[in-house]
Amino acid sequence: METALKAIAEPRRQEILRLVWSQERTAGDIASHFDVSRPAISKHLRVLREADLVGERRNGTQRLYRARTDSVLELRRFLETFWDESLLVIKEAAESDPKGGRR
Amino acid sequence: MTTSQDIVREVVIAAPPEAVFPYFIDPDKMIVWKAVDATLDPRPGGIFRIDVTGHDVARGQYVEIDPPHRVVFTFGWESEDSPLPVGGSTVEITLVPEGDGTRVRLVHSGVPAEIRAGSSGGWDHYLPRLAAAAEGRDPGPDEWADAR
Repeated sequence: METALKAIAEPRRQEILRLVWSQERTAGDIASHFDVSRPAISKHLRVLREADLVGERRNGTQRLYRARTDSVLELRRFLETFWDESLLVIKEAAESDPKGGRR
Repeated sequence: MTTSQDIVREVVIAAPPEAVFPYFIDPDKMIVWKAVDATLDPRPGGIFRIDVTGHDVARGQYVEIDPPHRVVFTFGWESEDSPLPVGGSTVEITLVPEGDGTRVRLVHSGVPAEIRAGSSGGWDHYLPRLAAAAEGRDPGPDEWADAR
């Protein structure tokens, strides 16, 4: 989880994730959206791959990238646990309040 | 001759041209600053192939080699989707003695406008690594490259 959170914290990697969210793209295509060099994009793709947020597929000499939406969903579920806990606290507070409302 | 379309970088390295020049023609030295794997045929017309990160293979042809003063080569990425294909651009490196060191002048011409900023950034990443290596310091692993 820590690897994924660190990977997604970087703005360019968020943008890469958006680019490959619903469409498989080559590294060259991805790089063409940024003002940084191709090797720099490779680094970001590597971080996203290692966090399992992006999958890589080879097709001849090309490498194609696509978001692993299931992994991002795991991240979302993790963040949602905070709300689950908040709701629990509210529920408990409400139930322990004899007047049943906010004071 | 350079034009405003060219990428131009200059860096002064605290090592003589004789110590800097091999970093452009010797594969064992090339992998210290700019590649994870390099196959070089350093003679006019000779082909080089350098895997820069483990995912990005650059290929080109040496056009001119004049040790330890000047080396000219074509430069492009091997992948077919690249806006900078093999043979698509030319890099001229000139080494001029300056005090006990060397002024390295790099002129990269033929880079398409839409990726010029990126390519410039690439040289800004790699030239300090060249300086470190030629000065006998360890540039360390390239953070852009796959772990070796």
